[in-house]
Amino acid sequence: MVAHLVRLKLTLLRNIFRRSRAQAIGAILGIVYFGALVVLAAIAVATLRSTLPDARLYVPLGGALLVLAWGLLPLLTFGTDPTLDPARFATFAIPYRQLAAGLVLAGLLGLPAIACAIVVAGTLVTWSVSVLATVVALVSAAAGLLTCVTLSRWVSALASTAMSSRRGRDVTAILGLVLVVGLGPGLALAGSTVERFESVMPTVGTVAGWTPVGWIWAAPADVAVGQVGTGLLRLVLGLGVLAGLGLLWQRAVRRQVEDPNVVGGAGESKGHHGLGLLGRFPDTETGAIAAQIATYWQRDPRYQVGLLMAPITPLFLLVPSLAAGTDWTVLLMGPLIAFLIGWSEHNAVAFESTAFWMHVAAGTRGRADRIARLVPSLVLAVVLVPVYSVVGAWIGGRFDLLPAIVGVSVALAGVGYGLSCVMSVVMPYPVPKPGESPFTTPPGGQGARLLAQTISSLGTAVLASPVILLALLTWWERDWALWPTALSGILLGGGVFALGVRVGGRIYDRRAPEVLAGLVRD
Amino acid sequence: MTDLSMLPPPAGEAVRGPAIAVRGLGKRFGDLIAVNGIDLDVPRGSFFGLVGPNGAGKTTTLSMVTGLLRPDAGTAMVLDHDVWADPVEAKRLLGILPDGLRIFDRLTGLQLVTYAGLLRGLSREVATKRATELLRALGLEDAQDKLVVDYSAGMTKKVTLASALVHGPRVLVLDEPFEAVDPVSATTIRGILADFVSAGGTVVLSSHVMDLVERICSHVAVLARGEVLATGTVDEVRAGESLEERFVDLVGGSTEVEGLEWLRTSSD
Repeated sequence: MVAHLVRLKLTLLRNIFRRSRAQAIGAILGIVYFGALVVLAAIAVATLRSTLPDARLYVPLGGALLVLAWGLLPLLTFGTDPTLDPARFATFAIPYRQLAAGLVLAGLLGLPAIACAIVVAGTLVTWSVSVLATVVALVSAAAGLLTCVTLSRWVSALASTAMSSRRGRDVTAILGLVLVVGLGPGLALAGSTVERFESVMPTVGTVAGWTPVGWIWAAPADVAVGQVGTGLLRLVLGLGVLAGLGLLWQRAVRRQVEDPNVVGGAGESKGHHGLGLLGRFPDTETGAIAAQIATYWQRDPRYQVGLLMAPITPLFLLVPSLAAGTDWTVLLMGPLIAFLIGWSEHNAVAFESTAFWMHVAAGTRGRADRIARLVPSLVLAVVLVPVYSVVGAWIGGRFDLLPAIVGVSVALAGVGYGLSCVMSVVMPYPVPKPGESPFTTPPGGQGARLLAQTISSLGTAVLASPVILLALLTWWERDWALWPTALSGILLGGGVFALGVRVGGRIYDRRAPEVLAGLVRD
Repeated sequence: MTDLSMLPPPAGEAVRGPAIAVRGLGKRFGDLIAVNGIDLDVPRGSFFGLVGPNGAGKTTTLSMVTGLLRPDAGTAMVLDHDVWADPVEAKRLLGILPDGLRIFDRLTGLQLVTYAGLLRGLSREVATKRATELLRALGLEDAQDKLVVDYSAGMTKKVTLASALVHGPRVLVLDEPFEAVDPVSATTIRGILADFVSAGGTVVLSSHVMDLVERICSHVAVLARGEVLATGTVDEVRAGESLEERFVDLVGGSTEVEGLEWLRTSSD
């Protein structure tokens, strides 16, 4: 049975080259290119033989990172290669132990595993200082590779369990976003500490060697430098980790094979009792709509993506300050968040998709709809704009400019909201449908999307330009402009906001069925 | 035949004007004329079936009558209120279940029905009380705290129907209310609709299933290619035949199957 699975995987591997000539050539070029990189990496690892103390730090660290990468990979690339998903074998009545072993061995035959095997083979050279060290290195390399693949298979089984429920899909989509968004600032911060790299490395390397993902890689290093007892201990610990993972993987396979449908089905939609937010907002038409939208913010990943993105984005302004010591960019944190929050409401209605008919059927009044739709966003703005304004002024060391910063922020938010009130009923464009991934771009409507986004952002900038101009004067040390910036910002922002609600409300009253017709077409 | 099909047409009611009166209603989508200036009266207190083949214009007509789709021509009156000139009053009297449109499915069943009530201007107390009663009547009591997105198709239809009923409309307009609904739920829904009619309300529903319309409706209109081909009481329209036979006569098109000999297993 194991042989069958391995043969299946080999067939799948061979089929990479059988699609079309162009794809085959592309695949070969890719394999040659990455193959060369892999061989270079293996040689680099092997040359560490000449500096064993360094090797003892870097190899376990690299190995530990490798295992972690294999564990994370199935989360990011989930669903791209489901050919060896245990649930697919449910109908074949294969004993689960054999299936579990076979799937891991088949996993070793994938291109990523082969690449890793080549790099790991480099460590055999690194540790070949004595017979005992070489033997331990051989065991460690094999066990390390198996640990990678087994962990990856187990995580992917867990992920497929989670993904088979709606909640799981939502959570995974959001986790993916956080990873992607967090990467930028994370790397920038890591880069800024690069000068301390040299001094931290020894500690990091030593610690990594004593973590469960590092034991197996550190064992031959200990033996190579003569600490045979420590080495054997870590070898046993590392093999124990592999055995534990193997058991977990076996159990996951058993669960999926014996009960493929129950997986992830139970336990959904618990914990919503009574009216929730609908029972807590004011008992009016506006209150009801605001409560519905706030509830959606809690439950719909399409809103949550925005909710997570908005607070994180101003942090990017820290990058120039950390990297190059430029300090004026942080002053823009408040205005940026204000602009983003106001502007991002310009397509609010489209997110409801055709469920909008309920509002049309009920004859909802435009004014009520316009105001209610902004309530959750306003709450967000009231919290985040002051916080970022103050934090920006503080980091930038320019508390004297705070009134101007607040003025520009209020102007941008107010103008953005005002424009959004009108734009969301005049120019709705297609967005991912409820239940679709927040990252899909719906086909069609690219032109409408671009136009609406441009009008909303340029319009906000143009309408707020008097306040922006005053703020610039303040920045250029025309001190008289400080308080006029604050005052005009509040007046302009408030004024355009009120006007937007009125005009948008009127258009809504007249055009609601046309908006619905547009949403039905999308 | 069940007893419901024996309901007499609501005699005398027409004097006060029909529940829904449609005059010259038309809609075109590009080159396609979806509804071609139709006239239609739905008597008060009737259980009115709108039947027609796919693409006949049923959904388009019902959308224009309920204020969801603006007609290109003509008027639609609901209990003497023009849907497009006096939408506030007309919409208050209407309860609708559209076909093919989404609902706010990230709300729980209880939240959705309550929300529908609040949108219609009910107080929270009244809306919650009615929502709870409706969900119980429709057998959704156990599912009321689940998100509607996790409901089955039939449960979704039922919760949408509850949302249409919560504000106590006088006229119900239901597009394909029995599609994807299991027989038990269908019986429940029929019971609720029959009660609604016997209490003086009017129900308009569209359906593909002639047999069902023949059994439960008092009146029927046959729509094809955007035109009303026949309308009246069920007995008038079917004129001695079964409704299905009459429908095929009216709509035309051959029911003789030509070709496809390979489908017949006896051919080899």
